[in-house]
Amino acid sequence: MSKWYEFNTSGIVVSTRVRLARNLAGVPFPGRMNEAQRAEVNKKIIDAIINVPSSLSKELKVVEMDTISDAAALAMVERHIISPAFARNRKNRRLILSDDESISIMLGEEDHIRIQVIKGGLQLSEAYEIADKIDTLISESLTIAFDEQLGFLTECPTNLGTGLRASVMLHLPALESTGEVSQLADAVSKIGLTIRGMYGEGSGSKASLYQLSNQVTLGISEKTALDNLKSITMQMIEREQATCKNLDKISLEDSVFRSFGTLKNARILSSDEMMQYVSQIKLGERLQIIKLKDENLPIKLMIETQPAMMALNLQVQNATERDIERAKIFREQLA
Amino acid sequence: MMCEQCGKNLATTHVHTVINGVSTQKNLCTYCAVADGYAGLHSGNLMNMLSTVFGESLDAHSSSNEKRCSCCGATFSDIVESGRAGCADCYRVFGPQLMSSLQRLHGKTKHVGKVPQSASGELKIAACLQKLKDELANAVANEEFENAAKLRDQIKQIEAGEKHE
Repeated sequence: MSKWYEFNTSGIVVSTRVRLARNLAGVPFPGRMNEAQRAEVNKKIIDAIINVPSSLSKELKVVEMDTISDAAALAMVERHIISPAFARNRKNRRLILSDDESISIMLGEEDHIRIQVIKGGLQLSEAYEIADKIDTLISESLTIAFDEQLGFLTECPTNLGTGLRASVMLHLPALESTGEVSQLADAVSKIGLTIRGMYGEGSGSKASLYQLSNQVTLGISEKTALDNLKSITMQMIEREQATCKNLDKISLEDSVFRSFGTLKNARILSSDEMMQYVSQIKLGERLQIIKLKDENLPIKLMIETQPAMMALNLQVQNATERDIERAKIFREQLA
Repeated sequence: MMCEQCGKNLATTHVHTVINGVSTQKNLCTYCAVADGYAGLHSGNLMNMLSTVFGESLDAHSSSNEKRCSCCGATFSDIVESGRAGCADCYRVFGPQLMSSLQRLHGKTKHVGKVPQSASGELKIAACLQKLKDELANAVANEEFENAAKLRDQIKQIEAGEKHE
């Protein structure tokens, strides 16, 4: 079965993620639950989602997180379907997952229920609609913790209200090269959004990938939050496109072809190096400087050659072996 | 070790200062550390940032010290230290103490948007009306007047029903 990241990832907006935080009424939040309560809450939620006849339940399966290996859990983080915290503490935790992994529901992360929908490209309303449908399905048979004043009640007060965190992953090599990304970070923070680097500490980013998301969840409706995020995303796209046009053509082509050449020929490829070159060939493909057999290949390969993904799929454990295997995958796929 | 300032809580913040070669040591609880402006020492992660936010509303700290949430057993200091509520009831029990922090965090303190199936009928109607009004504004903006007229009628119908009740 193909995964969500094999489609629509070739644009400036690589992916869209929507997450809803929900809790059952009358039971402590995961941080203060005992194991018996955890098991009971898990069972109730699984019953409400899977064990009812619906079009959704057919494509969903339950993963018992305490039965999978560390590598398998970390590989899920690399595929963006669970949080690092959920991978670290897996005791009695359950994950409800769709075949293409675009729907992942974490049970017992920071809240009883974390519904996540992730899609390639810019698909905010589409992703929200699916998450909303699952949320409604759950609340048909279970009582959700809700307060008229504070909205949906969550363990962390930063999620009170709608419990909605929506984000888009943006590929911004041009805005990064001119240093505009950091200025934009200041600007978006004033309107309740935040932008941060993916795969990197602080504001830096290894593959020019940035995550733009809403910060405020109380006193703003789902629709307004999604509309705001979409409107800023559109502006980011325009700015990145405009900045691309001003880049020095020959240096840009040189950089793209050098990266392409390295990826097609290298015998040893470290993870950091790979990220840097993939970013360049992704840009090259988008600006039609190079032509790949599949425009979604850069992001697909980037995800599939992350360390835990390789440890899981190829059974290679040490870093040197992994770098050699990674180079081999790129040579084969880009040939 | 107890906090040397209030003598009531466990000292969890230890501040070692050297000024002109003179070294001093302070052992404080979270409340007193925040009150003395040492909250910044914990900066760097979200949880600590949150305790800083909550810490500023600790005026009731001595009186509410022993109050516990009857559902999960959390005290206000547990919430301040972890930056997390213990259960949904905590928001009711410690609501007044949390409100100003929530105002600072979100800018607002009244939920707007979806309400769950289990909410009261009145709330559901209010949420439904809001949704229709949003759609109406959208329809007008997009010059979809036929759709807008339908939405307007639906809104009128719901509002008339509310008055009738």
